[in-house]
Amino acid sequence: MNDIAAGAQNVRKRFGATTALDGVTFEVAAGEIHALVGENGAGKSTLVRVLGGVVAPDEGAVTIGGREYRLASPHDAIAAGIVAIPQELQLVPALSVAENLALGDLPACRLFGVDVFVDRARMRAEAQTHLAMFDFAPDADLPVRHLSFAEQQILAIAKALRRRARVLILDEPTAALENREVEQLFAVLRRLQANGTAIIYVSHRLEEIVQLADRCTVLRDGRVAAVVARGAFNAADLVQAMTGRTAIREATVPATPGGMLLEDVEPRSDAIHLRAGEVLGLAGLLGSATTDVLARFFGLAPRATIARVNNRLRRLSTPIAAIDAGIGFVPPSRKLGLVMNQSVYDNIVLPSLGLQRLGRGAGRRRYRRLVSELMEFLDIRPRQPEMKVSALSGGNQQKVILAKWLLRRVDMLLLDEPTQGVDIAAKAKIHALLRDFAARGGGVLLSSSDFSELAGLCDAVLALRHADIVARIDRTEVLSEERIHAAVA
Amino acid sequence: MTKVVGAARRINWAGQAPLITLLVLCIVTSLLTSRFLSPINLTNIFVQSSIMAVIAVGMTFVIIGGGFDLSVGSTVALSGCIAAMAMLKFGIFAGVVSGIAAGAAVGLANGLIVAALKVNPFIATLGSMVLVRGVVYIITGGAPVSGDDGLPGAFVAFGNARLFGIHYLVWVPLVLLIVLSVVMQLTPYGRRVYATGGNREAAYLSGVAVERVIASTYVWCGALAGVAGVMLAARLQSGQPTAGEFYELTAIAAVVLGGASLYGGEGTLYKSVIGVFIMIVLGNGLNLLNVDSYWQRVAVGAVVIAAAAADRLRSRA
Repeated sequence: MNDIAAGAQNVRKRFGATTALDGVTFEVAAGEIHALVGENGAGKSTLVRVLGGVVAPDEGAVTIGGREYRLASPHDAIAAGIVAIPQELQLVPALSVAENLALGDLPACRLFGVDVFVDRARMRAEAQTHLAMFDFAPDADLPVRHLSFAEQQILAIAKALRRRARVLILDEPTAALENREVEQLFAVLRRLQANGTAIIYVSHRLEEIVQLADRCTVLRDGRVAAVVARGAFNAADLVQAMTGRTAIREATVPATPGGMLLEDVEPRSDAIHLRAGEVLGLAGLLGSATTDVLARFFGLAPRATIARVNNRLRRLSTPIAAIDAGIGFVPPSRKLGLVMNQSVYDNIVLPSLGLQRLGRGAGRRRYRRLVSELMEFLDIRPRQPEMKVSALSGGNQQKVILAKWLLRRVDMLLLDEPTQGVDIAAKAKIHALLRDFAARGGGVLLSSSDFSELAGLCDAVLALRHADIVARIDRTEVLSEERIHAAVA
Repeated sequence: MTKVVGAARRINWAGQAPLITLLVLCIVTSLLTSRFLSPINLTNIFVQSSIMAVIAVGMTFVIIGGGFDLSVGSTVALSGCIAAMAMLKFGIFAGVVSGIAAGAAVGLANGLIVAALKVNPFIATLGSMVLVRGVVYIITGGAPVSGDDGLPGAFVAFGNARLFGIHYLVWVPLVLLIVLSVVMQLTPYGRRVYATGGNREAAYLSGVAVERVIASTYVWCGALAGVAGVMLAARLQSGQPTAGEFYELTAIAAVVLGGASLYGGEGTLYKSVIGVFIMIVLGNGLNLLNVDSYWQRVAVGAVVIAAAAADRLRSRA
């Protein structure tokens, strides 16, 4: 490669007993989009954090523009021209678009030679010209909290690129974007690439990488498993390199739906009917009502939903009422699903505490046995119930959330983006588990912005536009990503 | 020898920091002054610690639940005065019960304001701290409550007498500590408190009635401050309207010294009691060394800040 923009030479990093990076060498050239893939725990995020100056390597060096650097903080990295955009955007929700862009060096009016007031007009004008480069023209005075997540993402990138970044690092940038917005983001990335910016792109979505990346480095167990150039790889190759196995075929056995489990009784445009044994998908564009449907059945809406659950009329006013009716909810963010500073055991038993049919008499020993059985069944690693849940990888944390509801023996699972940020192997495991849950007479209602996931997993998909269900696509017809996309768009 | 080293490795030293701090403090103090280890002084430390320990145990409930309670000092005074007034009219039993009930009522009010109205606990309990102190002065007229012939003899004896060589006042936190530790560690309720403090949203989505749990921690805190108020009244042989000033600070410092996190979800009752001993031994040591009382305040304040800073550093690590 010509002109290496940044790289890591033989980097090692240990955290306690685990080796996160075991001699990794990585390079990204100017004007290159270089993807970084691997299962959770393979060392992607550690490598990104080393390059971004968040973590100092135990051994090895970071080079930027041919010079060796010792990055002590993200500030050092930014000064050297590496900017990392984290998954959680560092924007101030209450400040305006223009203010967020200018934060750090606000233009000021000078009075008697001293900076006094913020020069709002100049700030606004600068923001607009800068954002125009990204084909993005929001109201510069709008507080950032009113922007969609996708718009915030582009704003964060625009902000990072105000300071002439040589290398841009993106961690799962499309996790919460819908297809059209992904295209918008890709267009921005390609433009930056043409200007000579080096881009390091971390993602679980292999189709995107095949589409976008010039090269792809695959990490496995802290080592580089493969470096492949565009055209030389497809998604299945990447899976094999990541896991050391061939791709797991998704289970697509159609279930035979049984009796009605969950049914709206009030007439409404997004009424749901979920049968036992059914996996029902909710598809919609970002900001549409799929999340609202799930929230409504779990008692999180401002107004209680009346629904027939298991042939009983229920008023779903709070999570407690919903759980009592046999409904479990897997929230879109694992931070909402887990008490991070508690153990795996404490998290799994939380919804079942004080439950008569599990506790009493049999007591804690029985709980412990059930939890270790569940950890075995779901393949939660490591098999240490006393370990803090924050120490687990994303995929294992998601399995812990599922284990909570399996221990509680709910009849229905509501899931919001259940495999977001989860690696391929764990994703396949979660899919298999949901199919299995349905096959045993449970009902599954899930929303996902990954339409290929819905097409592969669901018996039927409901397409939502705004708050209305506009189509129901059954597996007996042709259920494909394209059909779903056509229905919601 | 290798066995000892192996055993030493297995102990989680970071978790034992409060105990180690206490031991070092005791050793240093006893080296500086021979009076520290005298039986009279040690008894003094235990009796002084007993009342603060009861308050700190209640405070630990609130802090594990993710809250904060500044009103305990005023509640101690309120409970002591109400206990003394009721006792003079209706007897010892009624006095003790109404003293504790008064504390629980303050706690319930705090809990409802924080949990249901979602007022910041710092502001809510800062308000009730001042409000309750005002009520104490109103009902007592600012004068100590001890009646014409003093409080009943049996009650006063409780403040001084011993059982199996140990003061009654020391038995109270000992029994409470054992019972409440079981509640916190083994009952569903206790685990819900930890979960709520650790991540309120996640606990809510797991079916925990978080508002009720949070309110309940304030009730515990208020009721235990009530118990402490009754104990203090027995020790002072009267209800003192000025009693309990700055107790809230000592109690919070003790809980944080004991390793509880001000962000909630972490903490252990017995370690909070160790934190109490650290605070009391520190004060006692400074007294024995004839350190000026103004400087003692400076020292205690510095310890509070240091403990909170250590909490911050811990949560960052």
